[in-house]
Amino acid sequence: MTYTIPDEPTKTRWGHLVVRPSGPLLAAMLCGSWMAWPWFVWNAIAMGSPTRRKEIAMCGVAIAGTVAMAFLFVYLWDRDIIDSTTGVRLFALGVATWKLGMAYAIETVQSRTFHVYEYYGGAVQSHYRVITVGYFVGYILLAGITDPFWVIIIAGGL
Amino acid sequence: MDDRQVSMLLQQADRARADHQWSHAIDLLRRALSLDPDHPRAHASLALALLGAQRLHGATIEAGMALAFDGNDSFCHYAAAAVKMAERKLGDAWEHCLVALQADSTDVDAHVLGARIQKMQGQPAAARELLHRALELQPSHVDALTALARVELDTGQLAEAARVIDTALTTEPGNVDAHVIAGFIALRQGDVAAAETHGRFALTQDAVDRDALALWSAIKARKSWSLGLWWRMNAFVSMRTEAGQLALLVGSFVAISLLEILAGAFDLDALERLLSWAWLGFCAYTWVAPSIFRRMLEADLKSVVLDREF
Repeated sequence: MTYTIPDEPTKTRWGHLVVRPSGPLLAAMLCGSWMAWPWFVWNAIAMGSPTRRKEIAMCGVAIAGTVAMAFLFVYLWDRDIIDSTTGVRLFALGVATWKLGMAYAIETVQSRTFHVYEYYGGAVQSHYRVITVGYFVGYILLAGITDPFWVIIIAGGL
Repeated sequence: MDDRQVSMLLQQADRARADHQWSHAIDLLRRALSLDPDHPRAHASLALALLGAQRLHGATIEAGMALAFDGNDSFCHYAAAAVKMAERKLGDAWEHCLVALQADSTDVDAHVLGARIQKMQGQPAAARELLHRALELQPSHVDALTALARVELDTGQLAEAARVIDTALTTEPGNVDAHVIAGFIALRQGDVAAAETHGRFALTQDAVDRDALALWSAIKARKSWSLGLWWRMNAFVSMRTEAGQLALLVGSFVAISLLEILAGAFDLDALERLLSWAWLGFCAYTWVAPSIFRRMLEADLKSVVLDREF
């Protein structure tokens, strides 16, 4: 039996759907979290990443943190503690920083495996078409939502 | 039969590592571990090969496995020290190195590694002492000579650094690390052409060597102020640890966003727009920078095909 080095991905039947981890990162910026976190999870599974549990856990933390921030915003808004445009913008900056920071961190972890995956000839799909579609879907989604709680959860990092 | 085969593969892997043929070394060690998955030295050697190939995560796990299989083996501690040093955990690195040195006080490689750790900890005198001891044990040890030249260079002893690196290059004309140090010395002496020759050679031998890329950036910076700024910025970002790069990027985002919000709060709309566009430009730049970086390097090294590990 051939020895498997711990940082090497295992073969999966979804290998043909793997994208560069910068794809989901770009989605976190341009399309929204609704697309980025599931995409990171899917990419980890499709790649057969040995660190997929960590990557999935990190996505879970990112979502949990965003939900907590959304609850906090609603709480502060209802009690008029945040009552100015500057206040809203500062809070939004906190949310965006959290989302981008987590997306960068997950991308960094996933890239380690991706470089090995690519080196051994793994198939890689272009992510630009998916991001273009995701951008418009995200735009439509956000246009239809007025509840700030869901806007915080769904919106992108930028 | 297996034992003999494993020993032979380990020896071949040692030679491949010495020649910076990381992929070849990794393949040989994979074969060795397929025959004997519990071989501590094979895990340790694999950790060092993975480290050379910039696969720090894998190297960390392999070094841990090596120690788990044999916590008393000096080579396993040596590999663990090298990995910890790459992780910038210098205290742990020094502890492992000490164990390796105590187990075998004639281990020249452990002396050299210890010196590198001491230098990173800001102790050039201790580093120099370790290297002199290493050279007493083996006067023509190229890694020791190269590391000593680096210490002398960093402490401003340019003539001594040049003398030591000449000895290293005479002993082993194709040593990548020696060429990198020779390049830095030539650059400090104002001989950009010689530095370029050394840098070009080093990159052709190992296109993922961070020090060789740092030398190339320094050469570019010396040749042109504007281009140099660009290369230095790339080197500045790429030399950070992953966490450092993350902090730099997210920190820049927060800083510029805060400025934008402040500009908005004080009704400075033009400034707010300017900051917004500047940030967008910076984002676009960082997105395309790696491919520009690669293309420029390929153009500079026309006669060279960068290997897949680049």
